[in-house]
Amino acid sequence: MKRKVRRDYARWVFVLPAMIVVAALLIYPIFSSVFYSMTTKHLIKPSYEFVGLANYIEVLSDMNFWSAFLHSILWTIGSLVGQVLIGFTAALAINRVKHAKGIYKTLLIIPWAFPSIVIALSWKWILNGVSGYIPNLLVELGICDQLPQFLSDSNIVFITLILINVWFGAPMIMVNVLSALQTIPQDQYEAAQIDGASHIQQFWHITIPHIKVVVGLLVVLRTIWVFNNFDIIYLITGGGPADLTTTVPIYAYQMGWGTKLLGKSSAVTILLLLFLLLVCLLYFWIIAKWEKEDK
Amino acid sequence: MKRKLAMLLAGVMLVGSILSGCGGSEEPAATTTADGELEGDITFWHSFTQGPRLETIQKVADQFMEDNPKVNITIETFSWADFYTKWTTGLASGNVPDMSTALPSQVVEMLDAEALIPLDDVIDDIGRDRFSEAALSEGEKDGECYSVPLYSHAQVMWYRKDLLEEAGLEVPKTWDEFAEAAKALTKDGVYGCSFPCGASDMMATRFLNFYVRSAGESLLNDDLTANITSDAAIDGINFWVDIYKNCSPQDSVNYVTLDQADLYYKGKTAFDFNSGFQISGVEENSPELLDYIDCAPLPKINEDDPDYGAETSNIPIVVWQNSEHPEICKEFMKKLYEEDTYVEFLSATPVGMLPSITGISDLESYQSNPTIQKFSNAEKVISDAVGKSAALGFEHGPSVQAGLLTSQGVIETMFQQIITNGKDVEQAAQDAEDELNELFKSVQ
Repeated sequence: MKRKVRRDYARWVFVLPAMIVVAALLIYPIFSSVFYSMTTKHLIKPSYEFVGLANYIEVLSDMNFWSAFLHSILWTIGSLVGQVLIGFTAALAINRVKHAKGIYKTLLIIPWAFPSIVIALSWKWILNGVSGYIPNLLVELGICDQLPQFLSDSNIVFITLILINVWFGAPMIMVNVLSALQTIPQDQYEAAQIDGASHIQQFWHITIPHIKVVVGLLVVLRTIWVFNNFDIIYLITGGGPADLTTTVPIYAYQMGWGTKLLGKSSAVTILLLLFLLLVCLLYFWIIAKWEKEDK
Repeated sequence: MKRKLAMLLAGVMLVGSILSGCGGSEEPAATTTADGELEGDITFWHSFTQGPRLETIQKVADQFMEDNPKVNITIETFSWADFYTKWTTGLASGNVPDMSTALPSQVVEMLDAEALIPLDDVIDDIGRDRFSEAALSEGEKDGECYSVPLYSHAQVMWYRKDLLEEAGLEVPKTWDEFAEAAKALTKDGVYGCSFPCGASDMMATRFLNFYVRSAGESLLNDDLTANITSDAAIDGINFWVDIYKNCSPQDSVNYVTLDQADLYYKGKTAFDFNSGFQISGVEENSPELLDYIDCAPLPKINEDDPDYGAETSNIPIVVWQNSEHPEICKEFMKKLYEEDTYVEFLSATPVGMLPSITGISDLESYQSNPTIQKFSNAEKVISDAVGKSAALGFEHGPSVQAGLLTSQGVIETMFQQIITNGKDVEQAAQDAEDELNELFKSVQ
């Protein structure tokens, strides 16, 4: 006798709206970008042609793309190193504070609470080479002879942007690391002290093993966010002067919204996606290895 | 079984309702009721972000809705940059307004995308002969006009009377005199003239165009290819690089329109190039300087060269192809040009917005504005310049190339390469010209 398989479709009805939303907001944009990256799609022209991998070849043979790519790598590494160092140090410091810890935490998280547009315009105003507060203060204090041009001097503009991003992103690292620090059982430190372990040894053998997975995940997330960051750089320097601060997202934006070559712009974003996927895979492999070691 | 069927039906209805939300109605709604009354909702996007203009437009819309109770006008305001992003991204999905303001270079792109409807009937009703032929031609395609100029302004040279007087200098008439005066006035925290070349704006193209137009040339050739390597263009590039090095704040290498204007508004620059909007900017930021500012025609290469204008902006209104109620849009447009309404609108930024139609500037109501009276010289200088030029790059008629010339930041990046990286001027000009020509090919 053939057994009748019971199929219950009702459950699918309930998840269908969520699936439609996910498909519309995540899957569709990815597939449409992949599709358009192989076409001559123009932002405002109705017709386009299929060109295969021509856009990819064109982008990869454009020196400006590689220059933007290098800037993105430097931007990401510089920002992440700064954010983790400062965030980590601030978290360790606040963790030792006995009184009014909440006030310090709130004060330090303020930069993270501001929208990017406010941050970008505020820094642009503070660092303005004519009337900016910091350049004028440096001259008044006799530290500089002339007004330093933080946003147009080719030697310091990129570092200035990285420092702004460090200022912006470090609080987020701090809060997360602080939360992780608070989960470390105090008796482990007490036992280590009885055994005569130094502060450095306690930090290295107790603190680091407990928080490295959290920090690792934070680094994964921040890598994606920082690498894709567009607004802060675009609003402060627009990628200039002379493309010295143009990163891949700005390059893609100029391609898609400037020249309106959406096909080519899509090719840039797909290349960006592939690169970030590779980076994430590498990170996750390292984190998985740590977790395995812990077990 | 019945339960399953009911669940499936509910699911299908849910999906149906979600999908129906994405679709538009198939038939356009009627614009007039049986008794001929206008009926319908329209959306108007405009870029009048400053208070008085914003309020005046809203007031006119409120009045129009009062006169036509079944009409609803929704006004949305964007900066020019946001507006450009909004309509270019919205076009494919039909997410564009019923009517909007536009920049002349954008009208060409809108026409190229077949996004607008002709407005000859509106122009005829207002009075075709009241508009300047050149202004109308900026929105013309195949003999039909797709845009109606709302107001006009032109670029002129602004200066500080007090600073010139203190230095014993005359108002410069030639570029050499200008450079000399700008250098002399660069002292005591004031810059002679800021040279802006932020790549996300078109200011450096504008400044280079002044010089090139003064030599009787254009940044575009007759065949609409880029012309950045002519003798006049190379001289112009060298001229502005010299101004940057000697009279401009170093940060101006990244400046866009507002950064540039802000310096003059706050008394930090002795010279600037702008339209009559400069007055309201100074009034708002440094009212004490209002008595010391004035404008003059753009400098020439030689004093006896013929008078010229370099850039006129006739800011138009357009009606979009997607509009379900073009008739309402057209009636509302006509309302904007009614004498009292129009004068009130122009008075929101006196001297900044000059009338695009004849028969207004002589009116007592227009002339009695205190700012028009105080800046009568500026009003005359700008009005004269309006008639002498077209939009940047429109010397050979409206073209997509003219739009690309100003929207891609190619000339700005060229200046940045010269200033920041010390790139050779002729090589930088050649590279910029090649890049522009490559871009021009992408739209052909």
